Amino acid sequence: MSGYRLANGGRIDRGVRRRFTFDGRPFEGFSGDTLASALLAGGVQLFGRSFKYHRPRGVLGAGSEEPNALISVNRGPGRFTPNLRATGIEVYEGLAATSQNRWPSLRFDLAAINDRLGMFFPAGFYNKTFMWPRSFWETLYEPAIRRMAGLGNPPTEEDRDHYAATYAHCECLVIGAGPAGIEAALEAASTGKRVILVDEQDEAGGGAMSDPALWPWLERSIATLAGAPNVTLLTRTTAFGYYHDNFIGAIERLTDHLADIGKGPRERLWRIRAGEVILAQGAIERPLVFDGNDTPGVMLASAARTFALRHGVAVGRSVALMATHDSGWRDIVAMAKAGVGVCAVIDARTNVSNDVQAEAKALGIPVHLGQCVIGVKGRHAVQAIEVASTDGSRRRTIACDALLMAGGWTPTVHLWSHARGSLAWRDALGAYVPETCSEIVRCVGACAGTWDFGAGGLINTLPSPKPSHRARAFVDFQNDVTAKDIRLAVQEGFRSIEHIKRYTTTGMATDQGKTSNLNGLRIASDALARPVTDIGLTTFRPPYTPQSFGALAGRAQGPLFQPTRKTPIDGWAEEHGAVFELVAQWRRARYFPKPGEDMHVAVNRECRMVRQAVGIFDASTLGKIEVVGPDAAEFLNRMYTNPWKSLEPGRCRYGLLLREDGFITDDGVSARLDDDRFHLTTTTGGATRVLNMMEDYLQTEWPDLDVWLTSITEQYAVIALQGPMARKVLEPLVEGIDLSPGAFPHMAIRAGRICGIPTRLFRVSFTGELGFEINVPTAFGRALWERLMAEGQHHGITPYGTEAMHVLRAEKGFIIVGQDTDGTVTPYDAGLGWAVGTKKKDFVGKRSLARPDIVAPGRKQLVGLMTDDPNLVLEEGAQIVADPKQAVPMTMLGHVTSSYWSETLGRSIALALVAGGHGRTGETLYIPMPDRAHSVKVCSRLFHDAEGARLNV
Amino acid sequence: MSDVLARAEPIPTAPWVGRDVTIRLAPPAARFSLRARKAADVQDALGREVTGKIGTTINGIACLGPEEWLWRAPEGTATPANARIAITDIGHRHVGLIVEGPRAVSVLSAGCPLDLATFEVGRATRTVFETVEIIIEREAPDRFHVEVWRSLSVWLWMVLTTTAGD
Repeated sequence: MSGYRLANGGRIDRGVRRRFTFDGRPFEGFSGDTLASALLAGGVQLFGRSFKYHRPRGVLGAGSEEPNALISVNRGPGRFTPNLRATGIEVYEGLAATSQNRWPSLRFDLAAINDRLGMFFPAGFYNKTFMWPRSFWETLYEPAIRRMAGLGNPPTEEDRDHYAATYAHCECLVIGAGPAGIEAALEAASTGKRVILVDEQDEAGGGAMSDPALWPWLERSIATLAGAPNVTLLTRTTAFGYYHDNFIGAIERLTDHLADIGKGPRERLWRIRAGEVILAQGAIERPLVFDGNDTPGVMLASAARTFALRHGVAVGRSVALMATHDSGWRDIVAMAKAGVGVCAVIDARTNVSNDVQAEAKALGIPVHLGQCVIGVKGRHAVQAIEVASTDGSRRRTIACDALLMAGGWTPTVHLWSHARGSLAWRDALGAYVPETCSEIVRCVGACAGTWDFGAGGLINTLPSPKPSHRARAFVDFQNDVTAKDIRLAVQEGFRSIEHIKRYTTTGMATDQGKTSNLNGLRIASDALARPVTDIGLTTFRPPYTPQSFGALAGRAQGPLFQPTRKTPIDGWAEEHGAVFELVAQWRRARYFPKPGEDMHVAVNRECRMVRQAVGIFDASTLGKIEVVGPDAAEFLNRMYTNPWKSLEPGRCRYGLLLREDGFITDDGVSARLDDDRFHLTTTTGGATRVLNMMEDYLQTEWPDLDVWLTSITEQYAVIALQGPMARKVLEPLVEGIDLSPGAFPHMAIRAGRICGIPTRLFRVSFTGELGFEINVPTAFGRALWERLMAEGQHHGITPYGTEAMHVLRAEKGFIIVGQDTDGTVTPYDAGLGWAVGTKKKDFVGKRSLARPDIVAPGRKQLVGLMTDDPNLVLEEGAQIVADPKQAVPMTMLGHVTSSYWSETLGRSIALALVAGGHGRTGETLYIPMPDRAHSVKVCSRLFHDAEGARLNV
Repeated sequence: MSDVLARAEPIPTAPWVGRDVTIRLAPPAARFSLRARKAADVQDALGREVTGKIGTTINGIACLGPEEWLWRAPEGTATPANARIAITDIGHRHVGLIVEGPRAVSVLSAGCPLDLATFEVGRATRTVFETVEIIIEREAPDRFHVEVWRSLSVWLWMVLTTTAGD
């Protein structure tokens, strides 16, 4: 240990040593140290390089306000975290920390040349300079600037940690466990309410941890809270956002402080709904603005006190204080008593109260009133300070190795602002404090502006005899914004702080200006010669401090990201080598390759077997809705384009569903089971949307109809048997249903039993072949599939997937909503005018079908295309033109919506939306592709069995 | 022939036992969605007492919302015939999960935004677990019955067991 560790004191456990590295150099700290306190104890003052000028930077604060000391921590592959504040990293055995934004090393950084050229990089420099040529911005300027100016490197590997999430409820949520928060929690707890107390630090106590006199009280209070069954105390937990109705997001860090992270989650997202929220976020000390105020070793007085009294570390051997506020005097007196060497107290004020002065004088600390620090000597560490009277006289140098700043306090109103609470300016504090809020929330302690830190004078920049344009007096440390930049913005005409902020980037760094906003405001106010309240206020937004994406995602990672829905037959498909595709949330078998088969060969075989023998297909994912009630037929009549009232029980009908705008939104075959009961089917992806749409109409337009809708998508496993042998396979297994063509025609439904299980058996076809769709209760789906496979073996039964299904339906010209339609296709465009009940009084979308643009000629219409080269399969989505020699941009007539190799026809086929397509039959059109333009002929969509002879067998 | 076709369940039939919590598949059951204008209509149709208060359960029939009840009945219960209300068989649409033990509330709170600690015994409601719709009923102080659509049950099972194991 170096000489910066005080002989005794602090809340560290001197019995437990922690070895760690910083930029590869070994260090040692104690349990209870932060990386900042342990490095300071080890004599380190240089922690990082600044964002823009690459200036050497040390530690400014001791908590989450720290703008400078940003650190990367590497815990091995997939566990790299950049931009952590050294003041918030708990030291554990084996911690590997590295500095950022420097090359080749922290002490010798080549990009620090930016600092020498700093006068050439004023606010707005990049925007003004790198304007021309425009095209260089994305390719050259921005990447180069981003490499130069920056924070830590983003992680390059997938995150190997996992994260947890939970909801929590309480009557009272207290945010911040300093003295005010603890008192509020104790009071709330005593009423029996459920209380949650959160604090971002590793230990509850806040400012009390830097005041040994309060430790006995702290220990008692925490014991009381810990023993109360109605209190949840969450440390290492940052309340990062305040949302509507007292909904607070907080993230608990579970393993970042441990040497052995175990197998549990790294962080837990807490989503807390609170009856009342008590904000006890405290206040942040304000830096002073003077030349050289960013030199490593210049820091907030309150931070230095924390390092001394909480961590037992002296930030220097000879420490000076620059104050404009009493609190700094109290801090340095406490530090001196704890054994820190103090060389000077300088205060810009001449009228510091005698009480405050007396203690410093009693300790023999030299006091300099009415004076200011006007410069700092030393680049990587403070060596001395230059001091002068506020009138510029008596310039001299005082040797010291650390300089503390006490510029007053800024209430932490971040969460209050998230909750849209209003703020009021208090001249006496020189700060905004919480005023009113529509949420049930109140602020207590320092964040409400009620503190006992003493009095202070308010100075936006320390007076200095040096020319102000030469001063490097930093306002925003993290974004490298100086007082000069803000004055320049005002000079260039910016009047509102919102504009000044965006021009200079002050307050826009990851710390959201925790230490800089008020100084920036006051400098702007001074430059504009208008009161602070006249130039506006920027808004804090979540998160309060940067949080990991992993924690925000919670458990939604890997297989838990979102459900992959699988049918009861999915397992069989997997065991039989199916290749899957995702359709909405569903996983569906795309094709079933046999050994040695590629997709093309497998799909061709599947298609062939359906046309020649029988195919078996898992159609369980189709959306299904049961519509029940005396007004069921009336309801469907109003929803669908075609008539439904006349449909007899036992029969099916193709239903086409439009939106109010007249465009197709879904389709499906539906059956009338009984006078008052229908079984609807929808597309796989449309199931939820269609049910919602129907519910919407039912509840808002026709609440008088006695009809109810229930999703039965998952009630039934659906197995399609398609092909000339389908009936043969089914016959031995079915009871109570006459399968003969006369008794059970195409587009009919029968109830009965199959293998002893009740079934709703549809005779329908999406392939153009004789077909059945067998609905059985889902849990029996797999067993039935296996029985059908066994039964069908000698009939050549072949499982087929969605790809073959697509090909087979395209050969028949059946559309797939969403593939052959795009939300702008009417029934007439799609050639489905036959499904529109023009005699019906009304249906959803009817009125829109008469709109002038819907009846105008030249609309894109669905047609068939045949390539002149029968072996050429077009690209789906390819554009269609009439004249391939036309100059670019060509007149595009439409696009290819579906395109396949048709094994049945021995050639390629395609569907396309083409302007005026129905009148173009026989025309030759062209598909321009990178190599050449393909010629195609417009034809009917019915490529195969146009008369439907194969269906009615 | 009914003995030939075996049921297949999407999630393991063996219970998952963790610290202070057990998660298991509920036995197969009949389920009906009952829809009618008034509770009295349902009562008449079924010949048994039916609650009209949303969120409560009587006789295994939970009132989930306006004009909507969920009836969980022993497996094999036949669909009531000739009822003048809308009855839809949804026995296979759902899978039931039972989450039981002192940590039941904490495990379910991982993804369910309701205040389950104050959720009364006997109360049933439709809600969500993260993005997935569920119906939850508190059957005893430390036992919850969770109904979820069959294809989503695999995901729910994974999340609940992962959470309970953390």
